[in-house]
Amino acid sequence: MDSKSKKALTIAVAGALTLSLAACGSNNNNNSGASADASAPASSPAGPASSNSGEKVTLTFQNIYVDPNTPTYKTAHQIVEAYEKEHPNIHIEFDSLNTDQQKQKLKVQANSKEIPDITMVNPAAQMKPFVDADLFVPLNDMLDQNGLKDTYQSGLLDYYSFDGNVYALPDGNNIEVVYYNKDLFAQAGISAPPATFEELLADVKALKDKGIIPMAIGEKDTWTGSFIFMNIVLRTYGPGFLSDVAAGKTTFEDPAFIEAVDRFQDLIQAGAFEEGATAVDADSGRNLFTTGKAAMYMLGSWETGSIDASSVGPSVAAFQFPTVNGKGDINQFMLAPGTGYAIAANSKHIQEAKDFLNYYCLNFPKAQFDNKNAVGLPQKVDGDMKAAGYSDLAISVMDLFGKVNGGDIAFDNTMNPAVAQAHLTSLQNLFVQKVDSAQVAKEHQTAYEANKDQ
Amino acid sequence: MNVLKVPKHAIGIFILPALLLYICIVFVPILYSFYVGTLDWNGYGVSKFVGFDNYHKLLFDDPYFWPAVRRTFLYAAASMIEIPFCLMMAVLLNRYVRKANTLVSIYFTPVILSVVIIGQLWKTIYNPTSMGGMLNQALISVGLESWAHTWLAEPKIAIYCIYFVSLWQYFGYHLLIQFTGVQNIPSEIYEAAKIDGAEGFKADRYITFPMIVPIFKISLVLAFIGSLQSFDMVWVMTGGGPAHATDVLATYMYTQSFNSQEFGYGSALASLLVVLCLVFTVVINTVMNRIDKRFS
Repeated sequence: MDSKSKKALTIAVAGALTLSLAACGSNNNNNSGASADASAPASSPAGPASSNSGEKVTLTFQNIYVDPNTPTYKTAHQIVEAYEKEHPNIHIEFDSLNTDQQKQKLKVQANSKEIPDITMVNPAAQMKPFVDADLFVPLNDMLDQNGLKDTYQSGLLDYYSFDGNVYALPDGNNIEVVYYNKDLFAQAGISAPPATFEELLADVKALKDKGIIPMAIGEKDTWTGSFIFMNIVLRTYGPGFLSDVAAGKTTFEDPAFIEAVDRFQDLIQAGAFEEGATAVDADSGRNLFTTGKAAMYMLGSWETGSIDASSVGPSVAAFQFPTVNGKGDINQFMLAPGTGYAIAANSKHIQEAKDFLNYYCLNFPKAQFDNKNAVGLPQKVDGDMKAAGYSDLAISVMDLFGKVNGGDIAFDNTMNPAVAQAHLTSLQNLFVQKVDSAQVAKEHQTAYEANKDQ
Repeated sequence: MNVLKVPKHAIGIFILPALLLYICIVFVPILYSFYVGTLDWNGYGVSKFVGFDNYHKLLFDDPYFWPAVRRTFLYAAASMIEIPFCLMMAVLLNRYVRKANTLVSIYFTPVILSVVIIGQLWKTIYNPTSMGGMLNQALISVGLESWAHTWLAEPKIAIYCIYFVSLWQYFGYHLLIQFTGVQNIPSEIYEAAKIDGAEGFKADRYITFPMIVPIFKISLVLAFIGSLQSFDMVWVMTGGGPAHATDVLATYMYTQSFNSQEFGYGSALASLLVVLCLVFTVVINTVMNRIDKRFS
């Protein structure tokens, strides 16, 4: 190589590297441009301009349906297949992850403004930061198409609305119930499900004496314990505790909250949960119940399908969480508006995504009903469950829905993530040691005050 | 330099590409996380500059940070203490076992298994008695009921149970490194020493140990860095719980960044981790150089 070409080569290499460095730098700028909108990719939210011509479009559909044996997985795939058949130019790509992983991945993607065209978010407080950062598209216009809006249960979309705009459409609407295994209850000589908290404690003791795990829980995942605990708060305080705290009407040091911590500790100290619960994840917790090792399992009604399908299915029924110290209305439930489908503001195919989501949500309730998953649907659906072959458990849980007379949504759907995390840690701690309840309340209040202005 | 007969600027040009790449993928992100550490930011929303608030809170007001640091360094210490045992084992294998390769391969098996598999496996071993945990069953069958525990759910002992699994998993890895090192020492040296009357432990003391120091050093550094980064085993087995009792720096950073959505705070934690790593790497290097000098 003569010196000239050597020089040329050096310059070329150096140039290429400088370019790559520049690319690196600009990327970083993007990230640090956290003040958001300025660096957000240009996209017109309400852009019906893009046509439905023969142009090939691939939409990524991020979702939390990973298990092919579950009805919702089947529903999602059936609807997508049908849609692709009707619209040959659209291809829907599934990005399926389990709930926790999807949550994390979405946050990372949000960080770099690479949210998939269609994704899923949790309602209220959990989706607020995303909405505040303008990451999702309002869906109002799409809801008006084909009468989609009227299919939803009244009031449900409020959990997904901010400033009059709906940003996500839920895939479910559930309530918290206590599933119990009738055979195991009979073995322990318990004739009827408990109507008061004291009876519940007595039943726990009776079951434990027979060597049966009274209640299964997967407390490694922390929110499971919180979901039970908040039901106790719902009894001792009544609905709206967290919103009252947020409004400054009360604090976490409210006697009702402390009483709830006391009762929750009573439950733990009575040995209601399996040993070493803090190392058991949610799936293993469910397994304890569905394999007949545990007598009770307290969670959202979304579990009905998988319990039905398990070997203990035929002997399972559900009851409402009892009153605590004579307080509370058993017809008030912990409500769990489901994860919602949202469309990314950074999507290149917003109109196509809206059209697809409209079709998807219109067909969702019927397909779910046919796949034996009508319990906890967000939308109204016609159909005779008995005739369609639903189990007694499913029908009885459906009946509980009819009794709902208000309630509360989960802690992490109401409070911001930092407060929620402090709450979850504080509760998990109760599983391994007895703590002064006033201290727990104080921890909550301190964490709330340190983080409330976020 | 002059020996090479290459002009200085040419050397500079040839170093430049690697240097740029290195700066771009190592230094820029580190500096960037220092910067993010000064923000009150959830990772995607609006950010607010808060100066050194995050660092201050971390160092003085966070009840979980220092325990996590302590656990991380305890883990690092434990995995470094393991290396001499690996070396001892390697020497014994080399001396007394014919075709030791098979044994070494067997010891190495846990290393090639995924951490998730190992974690799940040991979780069932550590299960409480009522759920059929193997370890507790074994203790009970030899009459040690009082030693049975809910291993992973007791804040005081859970972290040691996790250390143990990690040490178990990486034993074979370091054994393999040391074993290879021991095998590479020429046998003539031992033969010569034998004539001079040095055999067994004496030969180890004056031949094996001095000659294996470089290899030993590699193992130590690998063990140290590996344990500072440890995340997966803790995450699989306890998720940092109960109530942060098994959090190490990496898991705590993850919880803060993603679960609490305090991305700025998490970044501040990450930068402190970098600083701690740098400091301790310098310390280890100094100590190592001393040892090097003593043996050479």
